[in-house]
Amino acid sequence: MFRVFRAFVCLVAIPAAASAQALSQRGFLEGSVFAFPQEASNDPTRIVGDFLARDELFWTPRSWLQLAGGLDFRANTHDQVDDSWALDFSDRTVQRPRLSVRRAAATLSHGPLSVDVGKQFIRWGRTDVLTPTDRFAPRDFMNVFDNDLLAVTGIRGTIQTSAGTLDAVATRFTPARVPLVDQRWTVLPTGIAPPATPLPRLFPDSPQVGVRWNHTGAIDWSAAYFDGNNYLPNIQPLALTFPSMRMAGGDVAVPTRWVTVKGEAAYFASSSPATDEYVMYVVQLERQTGEWVFVGGYAGEAVTNRRSTAPVTFAPDRGLTGSLVARAAYTIDVDRSFALEGAVRIDGGGAYVRAEFSRAYGQHWRATVSGVAIGGQSSDFIGQYNRNSHATAALRYSF
Amino acid sequence: MSKRTPLSFVAFVCFVCFVRIVGAQDARQIVAEAQTRTDATSQRYEGLLQVFDAKGKVSDKRWSFERLGSHGQSKAVLRFTAPAEVKGVALLIVNHPDRASDQWMWTPAIERDRRIALQDRSTRFFGTDFSFEDLEERDVNQYDYTMVGDDAIDGASCWKIQSTPKQSKSSQYTKSYVWIRKDTYAFARIENYVKDEAVRRLNYSDIHNVQGIWTARQMEMADLRRHSRTRLTLDKLEYNVPLKDDDFTLQAIRRP
Repeated sequence: MFRVFRAFVCLVAIPAAASAQALSQRGFLEGSVFAFPQEASNDPTRIVGDFLARDELFWTPRSWLQLAGGLDFRANTHDQVDDSWALDFSDRTVQRPRLSVRRAAATLSHGPLSVDVGKQFIRWGRTDVLTPTDRFAPRDFMNVFDNDLLAVTGIRGTIQTSAGTLDAVATRFTPARVPLVDQRWTVLPTGIAPPATPLPRLFPDSPQVGVRWNHTGAIDWSAAYFDGNNYLPNIQPLALTFPSMRMAGGDVAVPTRWVTVKGEAAYFASSSPATDEYVMYVVQLERQTGEWVFVGGYAGEAVTNRRSTAPVTFAPDRGLTGSLVARAAYTIDVDRSFALEGAVRIDGGGAYVRAEFSRAYGQHWRATVSGVAIGGQSSDFIGQYNRNSHATAALRYSF
Repeated sequence: MSKRTPLSFVAFVCFVCFVRIVGAQDARQIVAEAQTRTDATSQRYEGLLQVFDAKGKVSDKRWSFERLGSHGQSKAVLRFTAPAEVKGVALLIVNHPDRASDQWMWTPAIERDRRIALQDRSTRFFGTDFSFEDLEERDVNQYDYTMVGDDAIDGASCWKIQSTPKQSKSSQYTKSYVWIRKDTYAFARIENYVKDEAVRRLNYSDIHNVQGIWTARQMEMADLRRHSRTRLTLDKLEYNVPLKDDDFTLQAIRRP
């Protein structure tokens, strides 16, 4: 086996040595401070510091082969990062890993066919305010309103034709990272006590598979099917389980004279007990003009079979439905930008607004300050975080 | 006299029409010749973008550019290489002979591509003074032309030609004036108008013969409303380099 590996390395490495262009790198160091004006009932900490170092390398030893690798190093003042220094690959830890593989994948391409093997990012869907068909993109929800994508491990084959692309994907299950139970982003209903120890998580063994046809033309559209498990858990008294999920959906983008109209919808069915079946949909309008970018829309849901009776749930995707969501971004100049985004529940149950100002200094530095205001009723997904309004200051050095 | 007047008038009208047709034909032929002289199967360069704001502050960006195919049928990929925070951001442009191009942008920070809609093409590209439309190829068949006259740019004698986009082009600009050097048929300046207001001016300079093609190695786009400008300097410019069609797809721009 080692001989085969060594032969492979020699095969790809020798021609590449002559070409510096075959190697590219990007990375950054970022320090952030989160300041919460109010204490939460389960979390008195009001200042949280976070540090992330990321480095990614892309190497193209042959025209038909690209290797991609990336590492993350994290530190946090509020116990959101695991103490272990072991290199994490699977992204299944309760806390964020201190040292983890962000991506490790090989891309082989031949004519219209390309195959990505390894830990990689796969994005489906076209809308921005919510993306129902984006089933291979679990997120880190340690901070619900400032979440980040997680990679998945598997294989993705893509065939490119003149009319579009056909994607076929099979991956190992990667769960979304949910908020820590003793921290402010976990809000338990009155009368329910937090568990003394973290609930065990029962990960499915079966692969997550999906196929998507993405058509490009005067009107872009796609149709997608997914068979696997929800990356968000059902919270049960004794464990967190990840219910089976079959998704059929699609998206469309229709350019008009004034705006681009985007729509995305998916039907979700499940064979797991106590799991709802529902349709989730998004309609959004998008326009860039001058230095402005506007995106606004409505995310909705229609439950076709209500089976869940759990008193505690964590579903940010479904939690955002029934809301008007909008974002406006303004490029002040080549170095400075300002953005405003928010969501308002149409039943008045909750709302949040975020304002962000960002400025670059020279070729490497960027400072960003933002403020998030959250309000509403405790029974509402957004409103339950009404004590979690916060301000953030971040400084990033990119290299 | 009364019998001769209509004849004179008809003759005059015919003459004016003839002059306009010949003039238009000449103008079109000049632009077509300028385009023919830059024909290449492919092109590659590394670009330095310097954005000068109204106060004179300068910001630098770098991109690599590859184009496959010739006018009206080409595909291009533009990939940022600096500053570090935008490394990997890429734009795929698929030009068409009979309509506006298709454009997609890949943003690695969110791992997604996004189509740039036609109505959004007047937006500035990444804080530079180039709009998305300015990154398209100007194919000769997508405009109507009128000869304006002779003019001089940087001491070089030029034809000054008015170009008006055909309806299928879907341009933000109402019209443009194009200056073409008489000695080399190289573009010297393009001035773009919205209605009667000049909004952007692109100056070509440092013109050299590269592999038989007269090429400006420096282009400066001025935004006349914002009083800012962006200078693009071409480095390591090559024509007719071996490039693969497979590298000009949505799949390919994901790969840095």
